[in-house]
Amino acid sequence: MKYKDYYETLGVPKTATQDEIKTAFRKLARKYHPDVSKVADAEARFKEVNEANEVLKDAEKRAAYDQLGRGFKAGQDFQPPPNWDEGFEFRGRPQAGGNPFGGGSSNFDDSDFFESLFGGRRGGTRQRGPTAGGDHHAKVLIDLEDSYRGAERSISLRMPVEGGDGRGGLQERTLDVHIPKGIRAGQNLRLAGQGAAGAGGGKAGDLFLEIEFKPHPRFRVDGADVYFDLAVAPWEAALGATVDAPTPEGTVQLSVPKGSTAGRKLRLKGRGLPGKTPGDLYAVIVVSLPKAETDGERQAYEAMAKSFAGFAPRAHLQG
Amino acid sequence: MAHETGTALRGSVVGDGLQLTAIELCRACGTSEQQVEIWVVEGVLQPEGGATREEWRFGAAALARLRVATRLAHDLEVNDSGVAIALDLLDRIAALESHLLRLGALRDEKVSR
Repeated sequence: MKYKDYYETLGVPKTATQDEIKTAFRKLARKYHPDVSKVADAEARFKEVNEANEVLKDAEKRAAYDQLGRGFKAGQDFQPPPNWDEGFEFRGRPQAGGNPFGGGSSNFDDSDFFESLFGGRRGGTRQRGPTAGGDHHAKVLIDLEDSYRGAERSISLRMPVEGGDGRGGLQERTLDVHIPKGIRAGQNLRLAGQGAAGAGGGKAGDLFLEIEFKPHPRFRVDGADVYFDLAVAPWEAALGATVDAPTPEGTVQLSVPKGSTAGRKLRLKGRGLPGKTPGDLYAVIVVSLPKAETDGERQAYEAMAKSFAGFAPRAHLQG
Repeated sequence: MAHETGTALRGSVVGDGLQLTAIELCRACGTSEQQVEIWVVEGVLQPEGGATREEWRFGAAALARLRVATRLAHDLEVNDSGVAIALDLLDRIAALESHLLRLGALRDEKVSR
């Protein structure tokens, strides 16, 4: 296990006041919050920042951490000595009521380092009588083609479970799930009874799977509509042509109208994601210019220049 | 991994025929009913169905919005009107991104929202 420098994570000196820590945390939390941030590793960074704050904002945890970590540098191998926390009384261990996000929204997944020092953040108050299990939530990445055709996918999930000692943990499980045809990014699939188990004969919670599409090398999805770039030769754009176009449902013949310009969208009605109101598929014209490398090719361009003597592509830049 | 065993779990898509009650929505997001009521008043959530809390029904958009709202309120301690503003701005960003995507300007970038 590596030692974590929580001060470094928050970018504050070891002498920082509680107010300085709060300010530093707030700033970084906003910067890396996965719902707001576009930084690639936002979620991981947010977790780090949150974990650091969890310790440093609490005077007792901070004091214990300071005492323990004297002389350690971030990344150094580290094992807490036995009974290291004697004499410290940490409030809220385990936290009453458990994770306030039964839906697992923050997906707190404490690091081994934090876990070994302060124990699980999740815990539960025991309740009498039947209690319904909480709902769980997980994001699932699927292929665009799965939505076009419907599919069955095997999905691995890490689910929070409550251990016998009141501490929480994570359990891996695999589910075979039917992906319904026409499902869209951001939609949720509710699997009844697949959430947390109920207590005392209570009903199990539900599992909500939030669907996301894996990035596709060719197709872009916007709601139910799907876009792709259709490269055409200048003469195809100018004179019109019938070309083969790859769609998620196989190749179709597409007629490029004469006089097409770059950026023009050709709509294939109803060929987007299927559904009660199916989306449309759009081919966005991209004009691909051939290089003039051989004599013949150069002559062709020269002949074109002669034929188009009046063509003034920069006319709009003048005056 | 593709399976064609026919034994896979079948769920219901929220919004496609399946609408959630206020209680179901709260359970799904780990949010209290009082908080949902406050956000309905703030305009963060727009229930369909009837006028009373019991008659409210929520679709896919409400589920997604409430999740984000709950996380922002909890993780960043944003207050109720702050959550409303943040969600409106996130919606505007999403609308702009989908506009860019239609134009092809975001071809090489991952659009996560």
